[in-house]
Amino acid sequence: MTEPVLEVRDLHRAFGALKATDGVSLSLRRSEIHALIGPNGAGKSTLIGLIAGNLKPDAGQVLLNGRDVTQADVAARARAGLARSFQVSAVAADLTVLQNVVLAVQGARGQSFRFFRPALANADLRAAAEAHIARAGLSGRRAIPAGDLAHGERRRLELAMALALAPRVFVLDEPMAGMGPDGAREMTALLDDLRHEAPILLVEHDMDAVFALADRVSVLVSGRIIASGTVAEIRADAEVQRAYLGEERLE
Amino acid sequence: MRRETVLNIVLALGLLAVPLAAQAMGEPFIVTLATKVAILALAGVGLNIALGLGGMVSLGHAAFFGIGGYTMAVLAAPVQAYEPLMTWPFELSGTKSMPVIWLAAMVAGALGALAIGALSLRTSGVYFIMITLAFGQMLYYFAISWPAYGGEDGISIYVRNGFPGLNTLDPIQFFALAYGVLMAALMVSWMLARSGFGLALAGARQNPARSAALGIRPYSVKLTAFVISGAMTALAGALFADLNRFVSPSMLNWQTSGEIMVLVILGGVARLFGPVAGAALFILLEHWLGGFSEYWKLFLGLALLGIVLFARGGLIGTLAGREVAHD
Repeated sequence: MTEPVLEVRDLHRAFGALKATDGVSLSLRRSEIHALIGPNGAGKSTLIGLIAGNLKPDAGQVLLNGRDVTQADVAARARAGLARSFQVSAVAADLTVLQNVVLAVQGARGQSFRFFRPALANADLRAAAEAHIARAGLSGRRAIPAGDLAHGERRRLELAMALALAPRVFVLDEPMAGMGPDGAREMTALLDDLRHEAPILLVEHDMDAVFALADRVSVLVSGRIIASGTVAEIRADAEVQRAYLGEERLE
Repeated sequence: MRRETVLNIVLALGLLAVPLAAQAMGEPFIVTLATKVAILALAGVGLNIALGLGGMVSLGHAAFFGIGGYTMAVLAAPVQAYEPLMTWPFELSGTKSMPVIWLAAMVAGALGALAIGALSLRTSGVYFIMITLAFGQMLYYFAISWPAYGGEDGISIYVRNGFPGLNTLDPIQFFALAYGVLMAALMVSWMLARSGFGLALAGARQNPARSAALGIRPYSVKLTAFVISGAMTALAGALFADLNRFVSPSMLNWQTSGEIMVLVILGGVARLFGPVAGAALFILLEHWLGGFSEYWKLFLGLALLGIVLFARGGLIGTLAGREVAHD
């Protein structure tokens, strides 16, 4: 059995009296998609923050490729291969698609302190960026300012930027949010392909996508993982039904 | 060619042509005014790196402008008093050489910006504006209570500092020097904006959280830009002090910060030649409106209000249109 690429051990984080993350452990193995589901307010965002490095845990550890990164900041974790996408599309709106992705490529390579050479004249950076843009299906849109993109295109740009990090792990926060059915289907196919590049920790509300993609599913409720298993096991789990899936059906 | 490029060339040539014509017609006063435009524009180019490229609204750039000015005074004053600059731990004499003074001013400005920026950049938004303002005022009151360099009265440097091969007391030659420095600074600013660092800075300005997730530390990138900005504004301060042959705490006053910011906004924030257009407009308004009324700043304020409300990109933005994304 290979060592997990990403491992979270007994993570705790409280905000005042609220235990947003209460003893969470989970792992992500090579080539797998591990979906994290849970109702609103379950602590998904806090957990992602702890994994990405935006938040520091009160206790517990985060390991990336077996290395303890609990004390590393966001930028250091990104360079170590942790690529995340954001719930709200968070691209630089005034920059073009190409500039956004070049920014990601040079960030990953630690080449952000080059003062004189024009970034876009660097053939090496540019070629890498073009490849990621093509992968995300945005080749025809590379000169468009990110702010002028349609919603689904922005999600693709998010993905192209995550790809640019040459990641060991993807942490994707609701990549389907706000997409139409066609967009969601295309994104599902793209993610299915992506898992061979690096495993994916997928936070998603679209249950069709989760059940189609996930190898394992963990259910987070009130800061705790109440169930973890294959799609079939989770569907059959009575506690999950009560805590989450039932409620979802009522909405 | 892009319209903005054409406009930039017109501005660069115009700023050169006006003093040359004035020189030919025997109007040295206009040459001096053009020199003032070039120097204030240089200060604005410095501020624009922080404000325009980095999105750091610094209301404390007078600190760097003043640091540049006082660096000049500290180095040049001992020479006119026939005293050494310091005797302990080793003897060092002052200097009247502009290149040495410029270098010292930039180093001092960079160090000042490093200290002020390192603390101020822990805040953002309106707190950043207030804390930079507070640091600027701190230096201002320090200068007022520093008797060695004239305190509130400031200090005169009777003979303008020298530059190898030039007679700096000749207005047109001093103008050429200031113009050359301005052009070099514009070149640096242009390269910086297009460089990988410029891209990282744009990312840090528009979306710090996203930049961090890409492996870029927004704090380090912004601080570096702030230091470059401070050094450039300090260089302008040293030249300004040489233009007036006089340094006083008013260079450090927050009004000076405001004026530098006003001229950047008038010309166009984040536009390469914005500070040049803004400085020219500022000096023109000062002299035309100043002739009509002592309250010319009232009209300046109205012009500024109009630009902020109706012409977001300042003078350059109005004439050249929205900044086109270039591939």
